Formats: sequence, structure tokens, C-alpha cells
Amino acid sequence: MVPYFEFQNAVKLLCGELALERIAIELELMGASKPLMLSDAVLTKIGTLATVIKAMESEGVEPAATFTDIPVDSSLAVVNHIAAFYREQGCDSIVAVGGGSVIDTAKGVRLVLSQNKQDILSLSGLDNLVRGKHVPFIVVPTTAGTGSECTGVAVIRNDSNGVKMEFLSPYVEPDAAVIDPRMTVGLPPKATATTGMDALVHAIEACTCQQANPLSTSYGTAAIRMIAENVVEATRNGSNKQARFAMALASTMAGISFSNSMVGAVHAIGHALGGVCHVPHAVAMTILLPHVMRYNLSHCAQGYAELLPLLVGMEAAMATPAEKRAEAAIEAVVALGRKLHDICGIPLTLSDAGVVRDTFAHVAEVAVNDGALIVNPRAADESQVIEILNAAY
Amino acid sequence: MRFLQSFVVAIVLRFVHAALIELRALDSRVVKEFERMPEGLSYAIRTGHNGPSLYVEWDGRELRRLPSLAHPACALRIKSMPLAFQLFTGQMGLSQAYARHAFTMGGEVADVMRLARLVNLVEAYLFPKIMTRRIMTDVPETEVCFLRAYARILLGFLTCKYKLSK
Repeated sequence: MVPYFEFQNAVKLLCGELALERIAIELELMGASKPLMLSDAVLTKIGTLATVIKAMESEGVEPAATFTDIPVDSSLAVVNHIAAFYREQGCDSIVAVGGGSVIDTAKGVRLVLSQNKQDILSLSGLDNLVRGKHVPFIVVPTTAGTGSECTGVAVIRNDSNGVKMEFLSPYVEPDAAVIDPRMTVGLPPKATATTGMDALVHAIEACTCQQANPLSTSYGTAAIRMIAENVVEATRNGSNKQARFAMALASTMAGISFSNSMVGAVHAIGHALGGVCHVPHAVAMTILLPHVMRYNLSHCAQGYAELLPLLVGMEAAMATPAEKRAEAAIEAVVALGRKLHDICGIPLTLSDAGVVRDTFAHVAEVAVNDGALIVNPRAADESQVIEILNAAY
Repeated sequence: MRFLQSFVVAIVLRFVHAALIELRALDSRVVKEFERMPEGLSYAIRTGHNGPSLYVEWDGRELRRLPSLAHPACALRIKSMPLAFQLFTGQMGLSQAYARHAFTMGGEVADVMRLARLVNLVEAYLFPKIMTRRIMTDVPETEVCFLRAYARILLGFLTCKYKLSK
């Protein structure tokens, strides 16, 4: 067991049917009545944002303002712009409706406002901020993958150098997260599959990295089991509310897990692929996971072996010789990826994702500077990152 | 006990600074890290409450030790003196320190990662393998004999190139 660990999750979870209709009372209980709604263009177009606003209005809270121009890969400039917009509009709280980019942008905005700054860049760091002014903040995740609704980190792109920056502080955690099955029912199969694999990466890295601790592992292992049991069904049959809800919960639990034990090389390289090659985060996670597991195997065999029953069930795991279980866990991850690929065509290689080999040196240079690498079970230098990228090509 | 720990940490911090400079002449990976280091990048390493500190700035040619730094690009604060003692006496590696929430950091994570790689190399030279194997997942191979590194550092102190005082 690790000699010392910390664990925090201060996010109130509103989970299940009609959860959206409870946002209004939560805002009221926090003394807020003029929320700024944050979302993106797609969710606005398909009516997801309208569903949330309608639920809030039905309980007497109308948005003071709405901002929906958050791009897929949000940036520090977008955060600063929205913080200024919030002040101009006289808002008193934030409700973010979206996936990882929207939620992380909202976390950044909340940080700028609560610390009374103009530029989020001045707030980068690790556990270095004092508790600022309370800005009521509720998130409504619309994917089941990022887990960002429950994490103490915001990942935001710095346009000046193309690097995804991490802002790590307990004060980026929202006050409440709304896990309503209605929010993910309309998610297309490809997005369901890749974000589900993103959640799986969170849980696997959280359970096997150097910062893993008994509490984070309990959330992580529960998440892995739920994902293994539900991601295929949620992808194949999107209207299955039970599978959708299970995936949403698993994603949240994986988020709690990695927020308290960090992630690893899959994320370090994935962030770099996002920053340099604009590969969507969940796609990068899906592609890289088995290759990084193979890279880590020499340092992490026992950890991976313990994941096998969660991935394939106890009977199949027990039928596998003990010394083969770690490799079998990796093969189970590969098989899951292939199954999802067969259902909806998710990319399984970097070439499928449009990455060209010429970028590998740059990706590796950025990856080794990513904080997620520091707790990976095995150290990796640039040449080793390139080996992983080549294996994933 | 705290006084003794503080004294040892102060000495090791000076030693680490000297090692970073001397290893630039000995190890290609250290050379590469400094080549890529942005000019003007500065680090403040503070330990515990009013404990010893190290302030350094890379001016593009050398890593200068400074008496203080008002606005370091990267400010690390080791949360307590016992943790600083563990970290600077080879009982805990930098990645373990991160995993155990041993420090806070202001600035860019990328700059801590740079420092972590450099400190890992310094530790690979200065500490015996029996120690480094316990504190690192993978111990970097040394490119030259560790005695050459020690000799250069000690010579630096003897010739007053480096000072133990502030």
C-alpha cells in the first residue's frame, strides 16, 4: 500500500431520472439565480442545451446569459473571454452542459472568477491556490467518458505553443454534477464507444499508476467492471437507458478515481496527440491504451492481472493461468476495442485517425513534458514514446 | 531534529545546483535539457516553513543561483521539512514526492517535468544504485563514472565556484 495518500471528492452528485429538474433548487440553495449557461454549438443545435434550460425554467430559474461558442479543443483565450462575458452580463453562477471541452472550459472560467483574475495562465500549477470567492458551479455531462464532472483538474489548450495545460486544484471541482440518462441517450455510437474507452483508460491508469491508493482503486475497479459490462450494449443500442446510465455512472466513478490518483502515459501521449495533431481525446485514448499497457507490462504485471476478472468476468479470469493474466487483460482491452470497431468503426490505429509519422518526434517532445507521465508505472523518454507511437500506427 | 534536517537540506540543495552545472559537461541528456530550456526560466524550491531554499535562473548560458526570486516561473514548495529531508537525501524520488502530494507548484507542469528529468539524472550520479532503485521506477544509466561527477562538484566547492553560504 502507498505510504501516504490524499482523497477528495466534494462534488454533490445528482444521479438518475429527472435530475435536470433539480438544478434550479441547487442553484437556489447556493444563493444563485442568474446562471451563465455554457455549452457548444452541436449541443445547441441538437436541442440538448434547450432540454436543460427548459428543465431549469420549469422550476423557476432562467439563464442570465448563454455562451455556446466553445470549440472542441478549447483554449486559454476562450476561458478568459468567457470570464469577461460573465462579468459583463452580471451573472452569479455557472451551469456547464457538455463533454470534456465544455466542462474543462467552465472549470477554467470558474477558477478565473473565484480567484478574481483576468488571465487563467497566471493560475497554472498544482495545489497552489488558496480558496477564492465561491462561484456556484454545476455541470451536466453529455458524454459518458471524461469524468471531468468530478475531477480536480482542468485541461485547456495553450494556443501559443499548442500544449494542453493542466490546472490542478481542488477548487476547480464543481459544486454539483447532474448525471441524467436523458443527456447521453442521443450520443452517436462512435462517440459512445470512444468516450466509454476514455473512461476505461481513466479507471485502468488510476488503478495502476504510482499514485493509486485503496480509495481511488475502489472507484476505479467498480468503473472498469461497469464499463466492460455496458459499453458494447450502450454503443449497439443507444436507447437502452440502463446501459446509458451505467456508463454515465462508470465514467463519473472513473473520474473520481483518477482525480485522486492521476493517470499515466496514455494520457500524456494522448494530450500531446491532441495538442500537436488535433486527435480527439477519446479517440487517442482508445488507440493508445493497449500499446501503453504492453509498454508498462514489465513494471505492472500484477496490477494488470488484477484487472482481468473485471474485464472478462471471474470465471474466465480464473480459467487463465496466473502468469498469463496480465497479458490476458491487455488482450481483453484489445478485443473490446475490436468489438466496438466492428459495431461502429472507431479508429484503432493512429494512421486511421489521420496522424502522420512525421509528427512523432514533436508529439514525443510534448508528451514527456506532460504531468501525467510522472506517475506512470514505467518511466518513458522521447525515444520510448516514439516506440509506443510506432506500435500504435 | 528539524534544525539538523534543515541543515542537511540546505547543503544538498547547493549540491544539486552544482551537480546540474557540472553534469552539463558530462552527460548528453543534461546538455539536451538545457538546450531546450527557455531562456529566463527560473525555479524557486522552498522547503517547509521558513526552511532552506534554492533559487536558480537559466540565462541561456548558465544556471545562475540567486539569493531570491520575486516571480519565479516555476515555484515548488515542499510541504514540510521531514518531506524535504526525505526528498533530498534519496529516501523519496521526485515522482514519489508527486504521488505523495509532497509539494505544491505554481507555474507550468512542463517546467516541473523538465526539472524532474534533470533531478533524476543528478540522483543517478550522486546516489548509489541501491538507493535509486528504491526511489525511481527506472534508473537512468550514467554516461560517465559517477566519480567524475563527484570530483568536478567537489572541486567546484573547493575553488569557491560554488558556495555553501547564501
